[in-house]
Amino acid sequence: MGKLEGKVAVITASTRSIGRAIAEIYLSEGAKVVVSGRSAEKGEQALAEMDAGENAHFIACDAVNQSEVEALIDGTVEHFGKLDIVVLNAGGIMGAAPVAEMTDEVWNHALDINLNHTFWGMRKALAHMIPQESGRIIAMSSMEGKLAKATLSNYTSNKHAINGLVKVAAHEVGTLGITVNAILPGLVLTDMFYESMPATAETMGVTLEEAADMFTQPAAIKRPNTVEEVAAVALMLSRDEARNITGCLFPVDGGTMPY
Amino acid sequence: MGELDGRVACVTGGTRGIGRAIAEAFLAEGAKVVINGRSPEKGEQAISEIEAGENLHFISGDVTDQAVCEGLVDQTVEHFGKIDIMVNNAGGGGDAAPLVDMSDEIWNFVLNWNLNHPMWCMRRALKYMIPQEWGRIINISSMYGKTVIPTNSHYVTTKHGLNGLTKVVAHEVGAMGITVNALCPGGILTDVMNTDGRVAAEALGMEFQEFLDMMAAPSAIKRLNEVEDVSLVAVLLASEAGAGISGSLINVDGGQVPY
Repeated sequence: MGKLEGKVAVITASTRSIGRAIAEIYLSEGAKVVVSGRSAEKGEQALAEMDAGENAHFIACDAVNQSEVEALIDGTVEHFGKLDIVVLNAGGIMGAAPVAEMTDEVWNHALDINLNHTFWGMRKALAHMIPQESGRIIAMSSMEGKLAKATLSNYTSNKHAINGLVKVAAHEVGTLGITVNAILPGLVLTDMFYESMPATAETMGVTLEEAADMFTQPAAIKRPNTVEEVAAVALMLSRDEARNITGCLFPVDGGTMPY
Repeated sequence: MGELDGRVACVTGGTRGIGRAIAEAFLAEGAKVVINGRSPEKGEQAISEIEAGENLHFISGDVTDQAVCEGLVDQTVEHFGKIDIMVNNAGGGGDAAPLVDMSDEIWNFVLNWNLNHPMWCMRRALKYMIPQEWGRIINISSMYGKTVIPTNSHYVTTKHGLNGLTKVVAHEVGAMGITVNALCPGGILTDVMNTDGRVAAEALGMEFQEFLDMMAAPSAIKRLNEVEDVSLVAVLLASEAGAGISGSLINVDGGQVPY
């Protein structure tokens, strides 16, 4: 008997890395999961690799696009009949720069893929969860939701904002059987890291390895976190037994954030 | 296959309340558990109620006594051959009063109970955990480790102190496979609450029910927490997947403390 037997989940940006690890642990605990991402090709590949038959389904979604995020939530309900768990995992940045040089394009992209995507997905999910008086919403924040790194104003501001949004939503639906939490991972060596960090490191004037150290050295564990460590927390927060854990900014950062 | 198969745990204040729930959850996941408490009678009762056979062992002792704390850790190792998980759960308040009227006696008692006991147990447990390069230390703090309640300077101060201690030790042993975390529960109607909470309510000029309502009202869930909320997170922290979480002060308070 799995811990999520009978539950339906949707996870943004889940063909790879953290989102994929969450999809896999949910499936292994008996949930039905909608996997999502921009690329239909990567979606097909993920489904083939996970080999979960009809319990996994792919819906393409570019998280910077409001109508696609909303259609993803509705599409999950259409496909599996209901919605119990939403993980708003998509995020990232197009580039890094000091605020004085931050372009509108880079700033607005970050606002859409991080904060607005979380807001759009949450609002639409609540429309389904409030009538059924149950639900689990998990937003993927970051340790940068409490800390700050020079040249990452776009990322940092968005993750701080997600933390605020999570707390407010938790209080709005706290007596309706719905929990809203954020997970705050430390550095995880995901595809996103290898895609966006080389440019960020260059902006910071350090090598890729030095950039990684900059994130892991302040941690107690002196190493990056893993996708499995993040997925284990997502599973715990998604269980029926976690009904009284809400508005929580759950750290998975090896002791980097002191508060 | 449990998440704690082969692990040995020691839980102070483990015959009732939160400690008891953690002991039961650990046993259900395959661990061997030592529970400690002041009363041999309550120990025997807990052992017979939990029905875990040789996987559960009771050691009596008052953890406000340093020798008892150190002996408890040593005896856990003597009995089960090692110690992997130390849960410093015992604690409480009592004789609540404004600071100006706070007696040395209750101040020192609570200092020993809430702060020195975790320090003594942790220091001793680390002597075993450091050589084996694996360990989990879980300190049961409180939302009052982050926030405040008048007339409870002893309780609030010692829980804040415990949160500080948790973070320092996490950084000292973070690269050795040992994690150190604190859980910060909201109000739970345990036996300790039923005694010390009544005293605190009286000191505040309130009925006990008013006092309980006062603790639930700022939460998102508008109700008290339950012991199982805390044990759910304790299992995660103690498990293999908890390796990347350390130095964290995790709220299990229904969304009460916003940081």
